[in-house]
Amino acid sequence: MKPVIELKDVWKTYTMGENKIHALRGVSLTIQKGEFVAIQGPSGSGKSTAMNMVGCLDVPSKGEIYLDGVNIAKLSESSLAQIRGRKIGFIFQKFNLISTLSAWENVMLPLTFQGMNESERRKRAKERLEAAGLGDRMNHKPNELSGGQQQRVAIARALVTDPEVILADEPTGNLDSKTGATVMQYLQELHQKGKTIIMVTHDDKLAHYADRIAFLKDGIIIKATKADKTKTQVIA
Amino acid sequence: MNKDLIKYGLNNLWHRKKRSLLTVISIFIGIMAIFALISFGQGLSSYVKSISSEMGTDKIVMQPKGGFGNPTESAFQFNEEDVEFVKKVSGVSEATGMIVTSVQVQQDTAKKSRYVYAQGIPTEQSEQQLINELFATDLGSGRELKKGDTDKVAVGYGYSQPNTVFEKPIGLGDKLYINGKKVEVIGIYEPIGNPIDDMNIYFTSEAMVDFLGAEKEYATIFIRSSASEDPREVAKTVEEKFRKYKDQDEGKETFFVQTFEDLIASFSTILGILNTVLVLISLISVVVAAVNIMNTTYTSVLERTQEIGIMKAIGAQNRHILFVFVFEAGVLGIIGSAVGMFFGYLIAKAGGFFAASAGYSMLQPAFPLWLVLGCLVFGFFMGALSGLAPAYQASKQKPVEALRYE
Repeated sequence: MKPVIELKDVWKTYTMGENKIHALRGVSLTIQKGEFVAIQGPSGSGKSTAMNMVGCLDVPSKGEIYLDGVNIAKLSESSLAQIRGRKIGFIFQKFNLISTLSAWENVMLPLTFQGMNESERRKRAKERLEAAGLGDRMNHKPNELSGGQQQRVAIARALVTDPEVILADEPTGNLDSKTGATVMQYLQELHQKGKTIIMVTHDDKLAHYADRIAFLKDGIIIKATKADKTKTQVIA
Repeated sequence: MNKDLIKYGLNNLWHRKKRSLLTVISIFIGIMAIFALISFGQGLSSYVKSISSEMGTDKIVMQPKGGFGNPTESAFQFNEEDVEFVKKVSGVSEATGMIVTSVQVQQDTAKKSRYVYAQGIPTEQSEQQLINELFATDLGSGRELKKGDTDKVAVGYGYSQPNTVFEKPIGLGDKLYINGKKVEVIGIYEPIGNPIDDMNIYFTSEAMVDFLGAEKEYATIFIRSSASEDPREVAKTVEEKFRKYKDQDEGKETFFVQTFEDLIASFSTILGILNTVLVLISLISVVVAAVNIMNTTYTSVLERTQEIGIMKAIGAQNRHILFVFVFEAGVLGIIGSAVGMFFGYLIAKAGGFFAASAGYSMLQPAFPLWLVLGCLVFGFFMGALSGLAPAYQASKQKPVEALRYE
């Protein structure tokens, strides 16, 4: 299998006054195409920073990150934006929908940034929302939707560009356990269809939906294990 | 740019209605003032243009220096010999003077009296023609004054209107008392456009002297240059010859000669400067509006920092973010301008209406298309430029930091 993402000795250092804080201290991780990987760790462990690196939202202070063989640590802001738009789909804990736009418009937005023509992006967004079971809620604003529906809109938005990698940051953090389980099942289905999924979570039960778990503590990977699928039964 | 981003921008303005409205209010005041002022300036300058084209370009005026105000109180006045001298200068085809004096006019000797200007109209055809062209007035009813009309007068438009000069309007054949002497109205002029001139009484030049006992002196000599001559050259020649005739030194003349075109041009220049100064004053409020738009956009950028992060995460490039905020600021500018023009139009119309009802019918605003389009374009660019700095700041935000912003 070909690696989609490779982190090689990645450091992220923030300077706060005279202190230097190392959010990541030499993280190396290889994720193969089609893998479902969970990055697990307590808060402050650097897992969000790691995800930002993988998602091209941030660049490392030191080290290299390869996405499809391209070192993104050296790319310009505008190139990073284009890579994010085409190759990565984000699912956030707080859904992060644009409140002034309808569900349909939210899902169309990534295609807008790619310069796709209007009729095509309307069509694609509609298909995605219908696939997520929201065909009748397309013209509703986020505040008119339930938490579960909002997260499904967010997932539709993440998938509409047909990205190679889905990055989910605590995707069930703002949902009740039943809705959370549905979202996790949906992610699993996507994984089965061949998508690469990277999920950041502090929740042990969620992490076990993945193929592999990387435990992060104080900015380093302390352990990488195969997930135990039986543990996911608790919430499913 | 993209329709979705335009819609997103408009949604945001609508979503923050109150703030958008306040910003629009701050913009429209300045634009309103500018629009109203320029429309008046335009109206006035097109009026000036129209009278100068009606008058033709072959006219020259000669006046005592400092005699620009009250025509009866000039430093000195020209006499009959002066006019005769000017007539003989080469390049002059016609020259005539106009006797002007202030008179008391009554409808009835027992009733209230008004003080107005009486003007002497030459009775010779070509001279009368020259005066009529210069004053651009036409007789509305009745007939022109002719030789031998001693106790007959033509009157300004104001006399034919009730409650203007007198309570009761005057008609043809009615009697008036000028300095206590009875005269008959044989002609009524069309409106000139300002209440003073519309109250004039016109006698023949002879009647001014013989009937009213006015001195045969002229505050102004009106000259027509020959068709083949350049009026400016003729004006120069007249000035030179008349200076020698009066034995005055160059630069110390007690009179001046100017073509009517130049006179109008200098009048237009003064009007233009006055208008520009007023517009510049109202530009101060536009500067205030620009600062307000900038402030609104900064606030908006701050509020929507997380949204900027989200958009960047899903693929927005800097130029997309820049576009959204500049567009929003520009729209505020254009709406402010449109509202400003609407109120400016109402104010100008109301101003024109009040001016007309006060007798100043020449003070009418004009609304050329370029003014309307210019205001809209100006509004948009003023808004967009004011929004540029905050929009640039928004576009440069790092996605991670923007996403984390609460």
